[in-house]
Order: sequence, then C-alpha cells, then structure tokens
Amino acid sequence: MVLAVFGPWLAPHDPSAINIPQRLSAPGGAWLLGTDALGRDILSRLLHGARWSLGLAFLVSVIGLCIGTVVGLLAALGGKTLDWLVMRITDTFLAFPELLAAVVIAGLMGAGTTSLIFALSVTGWMRYCRVARGIGLTLQSRGYVIQARLAGLSPLALARWHYLPALLPSLAVVWTGMFARAILGISALGFLGFGVQPPLPEWGTMLLDARIHLRSTPLQMVWPGLAVVACVLAINLVGDMLRDALAQEERS
Amino acid sequence: MMAILSLMLRAVVVLCGAAIATFSLLWHAPGDPALAIAMARHGTIVSETVVSVVREQAGLNVGFWSALQDWAGPLLVGDFGHSSVTGRPVLPDLLNAMGHTIPLALLGLAIGLAIAISLAMLATRRPGGGVDRCAVAVASLGAAIPVYWLGLLLILVFAVQLSWLPAMGARTPLHLLLPALTLGLGVAAALMRIIRSGILEARAQAFLPALARRGVTARAIASDHIALHAAIPVVTVLGLELAFLLEGAVMVEVIFARPGLGSFLVDAIAARDFPKVQAVVLLAALLFVTINLLIDLIYRLIDPRIGARSA
Repeated sequence: MVLAVFGPWLAPHDPSAINIPQRLSAPGGAWLLGTDALGRDILSRLLHGARWSLGLAFLVSVIGLCIGTVVGLLAALGGKTLDWLVMRITDTFLAFPELLAAVVIAGLMGAGTTSLIFALSVTGWMRYCRVARGIGLTLQSRGYVIQARLAGLSPLALARWHYLPALLPSLAVVWTGMFARAILGISALGFLGFGVQPPLPEWGTMLLDARIHLRSTPLQMVWPGLAVVACVLAINLVGDMLRDALAQEERS
Repeated sequence: MMAILSLMLRAVVVLCGAAIATFSLLWHAPGDPALAIAMARHGTIVSETVVSVVREQAGLNVGFWSALQDWAGPLLVGDFGHSSVTGRPVLPDLLNAMGHTIPLALLGLAIGLAIAISLAMLATRRPGGGVDRCAVAVASLGAAIPVYWLGLLLILVFAVQLSWLPAMGARTPLHLLLPALTLGLGVAAALMRIIRSGILEARAQAFLPALARRGVTARAIASDHIALHAAIPVVTVLGLELAFLLEGAVMVEVIFARPGLGSFLVDAIAARDFPKVQAVVLLAALLFVTINLLIDLIYRLIDPRIGARSA
C-alpha cells in the first residue's frame, strides 16, 4: 500500500521513457530489475503500475461493496416479494463465472480503463449482497431492532443506524477477499489485452509484454507476477486475521 | 422431495434469467454489430448498402424482444445459431472446443484433488507441527498466484529451461500435461486448507470415541466417518472451484495456445462474433447452474440433516 502511494517518487526512471539501445537488458547497474522491450525501466514501471493495479482494484472492490450492501439491505428490509426477486437476480448474476463474465463485458465494451472498472464492478457485488442480506435477516428478530421499528424509525434510518454498524465487520472480511480478487481480475484482463492499455504500466499488461520475450529474457516476466502475488498474499493474510478476530469476538 | 423440486425450479428460473441477461448484454454492447460482421466478411472498407444487407441477413433490423425470441426459440432445441463471421453453425465448433477443454478441466481437477488431499492428510498427522505449518504456508502462497503467471513459470521451467514437456498447442496427449498441472496446482492451493480444516473438525466430533469403544477399527473410522465428514465442506466449495476451473481453463488455454473454449471465447470477442460469444457464456452458465444443483443434491445425500432442516 505504502509503495502504491509513494512509488512514483521512488521510481528511479521515467516509466515510459523509451531507450531502445538499452532494451531487454539484464538486471543490475542503472536498471535494478532490467529493462523491457522498449528499454523502459522495469522497476519504475512496477512502482508506477502499483497505482493502476492496486488503485483500480480498490475502486472496483469499493463500488462492489456499495452496490452489494444497498441491494442486500433492500432484500432484507423490503419484504418477501422484493427479497425473492432480488435474490433471484443475484442468483442470475452468480450463474456466470465472475472473471469469464468480466472478460466478455470488458471485451465487448472495448478495451480500456472505464470498461474494466464497469466489468469488474458489475460482476463483483453479489457476495456482499448475500452477506448483507443474511445478517440483515437475522437482525430482524433482534429485540433492539424490533423496538426501534416500533418506535417509528423509518426503514432508511433503521438501515443506517442499526443494520450498517452490525454489518461492517463481516463486510470488511468479504471486502479483503474481493480486493484480492480484483487485483487478480485486473491483471488477468490486462494479460488478455482487455484491461488497462499500454503504454500505461499495469502489472497484467506488463506480463503480456513480457510473455513474448519469454525465451530471451525470462526474468522480465517474473517481476510483475511477483508484485501481484505479494499484494494478494498480504491482503489475504490481513483478511484471515480479520476473520479470526471476528470469530473470536463472536465466541466471547 | 418438495425441497428438491423447488431447487430445480429455482435453477430453471435462474437459467432463463441468465439467457435474457446474456442476450441483452450483447444486444446493448456498443458498436454496430452489422458493421463488424460486414468488415469481418468483406474487408475493412465496406459500403453502407453492404452493411444494411448484412443487417437484414443477420436479423439485426428488428426490435429487442423479437430478436430475443428469434434467438431463444431455436436455443430450446439446442440450436445456437450461425457464426456471424463465417456463417457456419456455432454448435459443432463449440463442441469441438469443449472436447479440448473438458479433459483439461477434469485432469486439472483430478491433479488438484490428489495434491490437496495428500497434502492435507500429511499436514493433519500432527496439527500445528512443522509439516502442517509449511503446508498451510505453501497453500496460502499458492492461492495468491495468478494462474496465468503460474502457467508462464511452468513453461519457463519445464519447456524452455529443461525442455521436458511441450508447451504450445494440443497435438499430443503430452501437450495436456503442463496446462493441467497449472490448473491443478491452482485448485490444490484453494482446496488444501478447506480439506485440512474439514479433517480437523471431523476428528473433534464427539461420536468418534464412542465408535472406537464399540470396537470399530481406526481404519474404518478414518474411511467411513472422518472422510465423509471432511467431504462436506469440500463439496460445498466444489461449486466455486468449478468457476475457478472454467476461468482458469480460459486463461490457461490462451497461454498454452490450446484450441479450447478459452481461445474460442477470446477470438469470438475480438471478432465481435456475437452468436459465438452468447453460446459460450450461456454454456458456462448452464454448466455452472447444473453442477451447483447437483452439488446441492449430493450435499443432501452426504448430510441428511440439511434436507431435514429445510423441509
């Protein structure tokens, strides 16, 4: 995270500076991790790429969180018919493998950052929705919620003051998982050529570039992948810690 | 019985929704599909009359609902229509692509299950011990590795550096090995931790000491009781794993240049060949919903409490 924010200042070179004579050079010297096919410094591109890869993943997962929470609460609070309808719509979205649907949507909308954000947000809200609805339904029979409703609190205020705070811990756990998935999804779309477009440095797009030079400079391919793995691993570990903390709290 | 029927009814509703969603997604996709088809058939420069002829032929000049009917009617009898680029029927090509993808997915699943189960059994010999911690760490690391990067690394090691296995194409059965291994490692990483905690949880069940006292051998307890209990969470996530397998197969096929569903889909998107894209997306949904329905049913077989609870 820190690297994503400060990375651009740490980068030793301009990420899009083209330096053909120095193309595909090995790690070491002025280029710490070597250069790519256009002689661009890989370390600088990685650091700048963190902004694209992590920033977009953050954005996508937060959009999904908002949509999912609202829809889930709507199902939980809106009565039986609405609940049935909303859950069947959710099931319909869940009927498609997420990444596959994202590939199709992004591909048809035309490659680019906007379609990437749209594709991953549209396919990434259902888990939040399920969790929000599930917890929302159990809250309905709690004493304080019933009292608040009898006291004349509007459904909106009920959702804001009584449902949201109760939902937050569980949603946070789901969010860490979805954040990690979004990083993987963005780099996968980039790798297929449907995501962030060159010359912008995004890790998946960098992998796509590096794949062509697999035989001559295999190391070029290693770095962006390592960056993805490190971020996803870190987020997953935080998610596991959150989940354990939550489980412990529920037990006590 | 009622519960099973209602599950099936729900699956049908979801599939109908999925079909409509697929169709409207492609119908509302930006760009003129008729122009795309005309360009694919007649080169990049096409006249307006050619485009309008194509629009007529492809049935693109009607409204949304009648186009939906035109598409969905034949679909019910298994007719996916014709490719808008080549004009050939979609179904044979689709089946051909599936013939490459299904062995890959099954072999990947088998490799993944084999690795995950043996690793989990090793790890739970001494829970909390060195082997256990290493196995969990490796699984966590594995779950963070993008499947396409893993594929590239495997190509690098086994095909480029060692030259043991072929990497590109699908000419011999040997070509299946690296892609399936890539998928299998991904599946194993996801399943290992679930199987491990399943075994640990099953071991803590109160009825196990009672069984042992009744004279049931340790081997019988392990195979008849612990294994069955540990299978419940695994069956639950198998549905999610299927999504992973499909997505993974798409990526892996692109990396290894295999002519399966993945390449079929990516090529169809690039050519804006809508009938083909619709067919793949719908097929994925059909597979996904059917298998999740089956899993729900198997689930009730393994754990009768679930059926009893919801009935």
